[in-house]
Amino acid sequence: MPDDPKPEGANTPESAPQPEPAAPQSPSAEPAAPVAPATAAAPPAASAGGAPPAPAVPPKPPAAAKPAGAAAAARPAAPKAPAVMAATPWESELTADLAAEFGDRISAFQSYLGQNFLVCQPGAAIPILESLRDNHGFEYLVDVTAVHYPDKPEPFELIHIVYSFERNERIRLKTRLKDGEKAASAVPVYITADWLEREVYDMFGIEFEGHPNMKRILLPDEWETFPLRKENSILKMDQRWVQENLGIESGQ
Amino acid sequence: MPGTFLDSTELVLNMGPQHPSTHGVLRVIVKLDGERVLGTECVIGYLHRGVEKIAENRTYTMFGPYVDRMDYVAAVSNGLGYCLAVEKLLNAEATPRAQAVRVILTELNRIGSHLLWLGTHALDIGAITPLFYCMREREYTLNIFEKYCGARLTTHAFRIGGLQYETYDGFEKEVLEFCDLFEPKVDEYEELLTGNRIWVERLTSVGILNADDCKAYGVTGPMLRAAGVQWDIRKAMPYSGYDKYDFMVPTRVNGDTYDRYMVRMAEMRQSVRIVRQAVADIPAGPIMAKVPKIIKPPVGEAYVSIEAPKGELGYYIVSDGSTQPYRCRVRPPSFVNLQALDKMARGSLVADLVAVIGTTDIVLGEVDR
Amino acid sequence: MKNLLKKIFLIDLLQGLRVTFRTQHPKNIVTEQYPQQRPMVAERYRGAPRLNINPENGQTLCIACDLCSLACPENLIVVGWERNPETKRKDLVTFTYDTSRCMFCGLCEDACPVDALELTQDFELASYSREGAIFDRQTLEEGIRPTKYRF
Ligand code: SF4
Ligand code: SF4
Repeated sequence: MPDDPKPEGANTPESAPQPEPAAPQSPSAEPAAPVAPATAAAPPAASAGGAPPAPAVPPKPPAAAKPAGAAAAARPAAPKAPAVMAATPWESELTADLAAEFGDRISAFQSYLGQNFLVCQPGAAIPILESLRDNHGFEYLVDVTAVHYPDKPEPFELIHIVYSFERNERIRLKTRLKDGEKAASAVPVYITADWLEREVYDMFGIEFEGHPNMKRILLPDEWETFPLRKENSILKMDQRWVQENLGIESGQ
Repeated sequence: MPGTFLDSTELVLNMGPQHPSTHGVLRVIVKLDGERVLGTECVIGYLHRGVEKIAENRTYTMFGPYVDRMDYVAAVSNGLGYCLAVEKLLNAEATPRAQAVRVILTELNRIGSHLLWLGTHALDIGAITPLFYCMREREYTLNIFEKYCGARLTTHAFRIGGLQYETYDGFEKEVLEFCDLFEPKVDEYEELLTGNRIWVERLTSVGILNADDCKAYGVTGPMLRAAGVQWDIRKAMPYSGYDKYDFMVPTRVNGDTYDRYMVRMAEMRQSVRIVRQAVADIPAGPIMAKVPKIIKPPVGEAYVSIEAPKGELGYYIVSDGSTQPYRCRVRPPSFVNLQALDKMARGSLVADLVAVIGTTDIVLGEVDR
Repeated sequence: MKNLLKKIFLIDLLQGLRVTFRTQHPKNIVTEQYPQQRPMVAERYRGAPRLNINPENGQTLCIACDLCSLACPENLIVVGWERNPETKRKDLVTFTYDTSRCMFCGLCEDACPVDALELTQDFELASYSREGAIFDRQTLEEGIRPTKYRF
């Protein structure tokens, strides 16, 4: 399963819980605070065995553009906590049918915590959804969402969750997308996808081709950033929009 | 509403965001031909707070209170869904005692949520009285929450792994008292509304959504069941020990506004049934499972959903092994159900649009998150 | 036929009215006359924060461990302390608590190891300014001083 190495520097600098605004920023000034390192530190596996001497908190930018294979090869030295989801293969009649129909356009059938998902090639998502709906009874699209992994060559993971009333089964469909790459819209297959895809666009900037009304849904139309991308910290906002429309200097 | 060409007989009307019957800050742009609705478009996002972004910047424990603020009418359900999702990631399960208490509080919350819906929906249609009665009974559930966890609305009642608070003295008695008191009250509401000719006329055959439409639009909850699909996550994929309790999933066939009313009324009675069974048999034992103090789920992801009063409420959480969720997606029932508004309202009268918005049972805090 | 008679004599509406009038009986009135009648607030109610002091010697119970401010999702508690050169322990100097951002979730209260910080049953937190919502150590220890008006 080399497809899912999580970036270990996932905490944006912002995300570390700052004790309070007035506190000294240098980490050495508060060695007494017992919980701080635990909440702020990256997973211990990142330090590859060597005892970390100093506060290992900020100076660890994740190695840029780490190909999946290299990451997996470098990792075995780490003592514990694999940075990959411990998914197991998933086999059933359904997977056999789908594998027969789509061949290598589906790259993996996996299962984690009893929840099944499949990983497919970008172009294959819509045909698979169509087949799932028409041939296998997955009539209900539960959710469309995305996850952003900025350090991967294909940083976006688009997730469709579908459910079948007959089989009482829920599965996830994952698609990897490059930055700026357009995804195909699921609206022709499931009408529900309309708003859900608009929300994905709103939050991540993934555009959907063939969507009838591709515009923002929750944020104002003129907003410029896509808030759920990892490079936008939680305090980031569209200052220009705030100034123009609300007549205040800043929203913070 | 793609075509914006206006015929001289067509009128575009802005309903909301400050409109008494949009149940919050929902703006509906309505295209009208006389009294007929030709199309609607919802403008949402006025209450957007970026809950999913907040989740990425809080630890698992800290994010707990925030979920209450999405569907603030059913805060307990939200909390339950979130706790279950994180417990799934941790591969832990709440203790039997905690599960029973969770069921009781969640069902009381379902009653409270349905009561608020009933009151406001009736108010939209023009019946003012039920609102007061509904609020009166809802007060009892809120009092139980207040005594149990210290807050009435945004309860933060559950913690990951179980409960923070042990039940207070007399909890069981009070809950049973509420059950005894509440069942006749449901009859009372029905006396007021069910046979009332104005109510029946205003609701029947309004906003029809048949089973296929429901599935295509992803509509869940009472709206789906009113269309005849007997599907309830509490039955289909039982969580928190719901499989131990004996209850029915009420359905109707027509899928119109009146049927949705009937389904929700029946659901309140079923909730009372569940509460009675759960209270009769709260297992003894610890209220907190053995979960670490600092919650650090292993790398992985999980989607867990529960049957919230409004439909399927799902949490999709991706963990990167740190103390904070890497991504926390909320699948809000109101948001998805609201999407079917256009389908339901098209071709009806403006006055029915109000009924249709009411019957969808949306909470804008959850739609916008 | 029966239905027709029911319709003519407005049975359905009268039925509803019966419920309405029944509720108007004085013993069925549930409304609380708030300022005159004080609501009974539950024991576990999470309201205005308080910093407990030791009743015996009047010293604060807080050991300035900062756990509450770390537990708070909103980061609104600021604990100021300095190290006491004699006892080598931390002494509390200032404590600010910004109620305007607080969600009264109770996580800080749960985190406190010595039960110094407590959310009390006091629920009247309104104030006329933003500054009024920021509680300093004195307010937290002595309770809110409501503005008094004389007419
Ligand atoms: S109640 Fe919650 S929000 Fe308020 S100070 Fe305590 S932890 Fe923070
Ligand atoms: S957690 Fe309690 S003892 Fe520690 S600083 Fe806060 S109030 Fe003081």
